[in-house]
Amino acid sequence: MAGSRLERFGTVYSRVRDLMRSGVIKPSQKPIWFDVYEAFPPKKEPLYVKPHTRTATKKQEPVPEIFYREDEIRAKFFEHYGSGYRSFLLHKPDFVSTSQRFVDKYMELKSRGELEEAALFEETGKALLAEGITLKKRGAPSVSAESRESRLTDMSAEEQTVGAGSEETTDTADTTNTHTT
Amino acid sequence: MAARALTKGLWGLRQSRAITVGYPAAGHFYSTEAAVKSPTLQCMMFQVINDCLTIRSERIMTLPLEKPDFFRVSELFSVKSLFEARVHLGHKKGCRHRLMEPYLYGCRLEQDIIDLDQTVEHLQLALNFTAHVAYRGGVILFVSRQRQFSQLVENTAKGCGEYAHTRYWQGGLLTNAPIQYGPGVRLPDLIVFLSTLNNVFQQHVGIRDAAKMNIPTIGVVDSNCNPSLLTYPVPGNDDTPIAMELYCHLFKMIINRAKDKRKHMELLPSAAPPHASELLKTSN
Repeated sequence: MAGSRLERFGTVYSRVRDLMRSGVIKPSQKPIWFDVYEAFPPKKEPLYVKPHTRTATKKQEPVPEIFYREDEIRAKFFEHYGSGYRSFLLHKPDFVSTSQRFVDKYMELKSRGELEEAALFEETGKALLAEGITLKKRGAPSVSAESRESRLTDMSAEEQTVGAGSEETTDTADTTNTHTT
Repeated sequence: MAARALTKGLWGLRQSRAITVGYPAAGHFYSTEAAVKSPTLQCMMFQVINDCLTIRSERIMTLPLEKPDFFRVSELFSVKSLFEARVHLGHKKGCRHRLMEPYLYGCRLEQDIIDLDQTVEHLQLALNFTAHVAYRGGVILFVSRQRQFSQLVENTAKGCGEYAHTRYWQGGLLTNAPIQYGPGVRLPDLIVFLSTLNNVFQQHVGIRDAAKMNIPTIGVVDSNCNPSLLTYPVPGNDDTPIAMELYCHLFKMIINRAKDKRKHMELLPSAAPPHASELLKTSN
């Protein structure tokens, strides 16, 4: 069967249509896909695009970066607490990680109360502690010393052991990577 | 064929007139009235049946093209099922191909995210085209040069009765086919690339060869692929096993559905009834 092997000129459809129009391809030899292509054409014509090597022209619309408002909260969380002790189980479609729970609690407290940012951060930490998720702080020892003292003043045995645990793990938390955006 | 056309035309000239003077029916002339009635009636019936059959065979081919979604492709998948199969995950920003930028939703921490709304439309078009080609008895070839999915692609092709090529692509496979495989070899009517790159991250030779031989192509293009020569590109992830399994499953299902539909149409006369307007056309 006759054909046209010029893949850089026109599309597959335009070449076959013109060959049929000129009589090179007989109507009995019409390809099977021809009518289907005419009935359901693609969104963009499959023309050959020359690869231009000059990168001097700047693109008008580069691909936008995706950032959310919660990313600020996430950044502060990871800077403060490091990567959580719980790994991300991504094979579960409805998995909620420690950082996500933190973010949800933060947004909830923000919508509820009239606290400002620094206080909100502490409040979320305490709320998550109350729910049973221990957050091991990473950062300067002075920060943890202050938190330890505040816990001791509460006069409760559980919080003393938690404070001791957080003090032990500050050294190991230093090796974790920071999550910067 | 010529005789049939002749009788058709002549039949059209004398349709509802009374049987008086001899009708030319199958080349014979009858003068008497009584003799005229029964043989011409038989020939008439024969003609009608013949016409119905030809109209029906044309109808089998044209009926699916009139409906927008004859094979119910839109029921097979949704944005959610694509998301769960992680079809939206592209490669890193540095690997991005310039021509893939319109298909990307955005870039999250330097990883490209493919726009699933566009993917849904493209995939529907591609599956619909495959179904129609399979319905018309076309030969479909699945190509993928990814070693980890070669077994999956071959099983998919076996499962729907089509062909697969997941090994090294010899230079003259399509362009030099009569010499390599013998004269009169039938080339595929559609080539489906489940991954458009070869093992050295260049565009697969088959895409250019198919365009040369005027064969339409469908291809899953990731964010580092070139979608320009493909007839029906489908932007999506081509590296994750779960995404590849989804594509293979969709193609296999739609091809089997199309072939069953064709058998159904041919066996049952009620499935493809000749249109009333077509009957009137030939009789006038």
